[in-house]
Amino acid sequence: MDMSFKEKSAWISLFSTVLIFGYYFYSVFQLSDLPVEQAKEVAKGLLIRAIVLSVIVEIIFHGMLAATNHKAAEMGADERDKLFEYRGNNFGYSILVIGVLFTLGRIITLEYNPQWNEHSSSLQIPLLTAHILMFSFILSEVARFAGQIYYYRRGY
Amino acid sequence: MSLPFINKVREKRFFANEMTQQALADKVGVTRQTIMAIEKGKYSPSLEVAFRIAVAFNTHLEDVFIYVGDAE
Repeated sequence: MDMSFKEKSAWISLFSTVLIFGYYFYSVFQLSDLPVEQAKEVAKGLLIRAIVLSVIVEIIFHGMLAATNHKAAEMGADERDKLFEYRGNNFGYSILVIGVLFTLGRIITLEYNPQWNEHSSSLQIPLLTAHILMFSFILSEVARFAGQIYYYRRGY
Repeated sequence: MSLPFINKVREKRFFANEMTQQALADKVGVTRQTIMAIEKGKYSPSLEVAFRIAVAFNTHLEDVFIYVGDAE
């Protein structure tokens, strides 16, 4: 497959985000079996680990990519790269807005109907609102990278 | 997507001593993949890049990009 430096970079970011944060969210959903205080500590540890791992993986793989494509890395993004980046960002932003609006709606709804919170015992995950926001953010990142790759594959 | 213009980038490269896509990309300041997309008529370059391509072949813009109008 003939890929530009920026497309390869988008693939790396997509894979690392999906794998690392996919595992993170999978682990978070397992926390509902634990006592609340213990689950909070585990969730905090999982989040820190996912972020640190994500940064390390990005640095290593992008470093390797830049080392093997020295000239392309120095040149940076051309106008087509920037266009696809812009379109991908638009796509990701839309997902993020939906996630934020959903979270706001959930907070307001539960504020006026606290009894619903007690009934929704199927998802007793600590810091659930933070996790929903985090999920929206990660989903928007995935949409951003996937959008860029889609335009690169389409060619225009 | 069909663009309202055709281009002669491939032909111009041929008559410029088989200039490679990479060599043209370096002259213009874009990636080789962008030159490839322009040649295939998949990507509409900015006016600046179009001019740079023409200058790389030492010719006028209209010699490289020819407006044919929108397909009906």
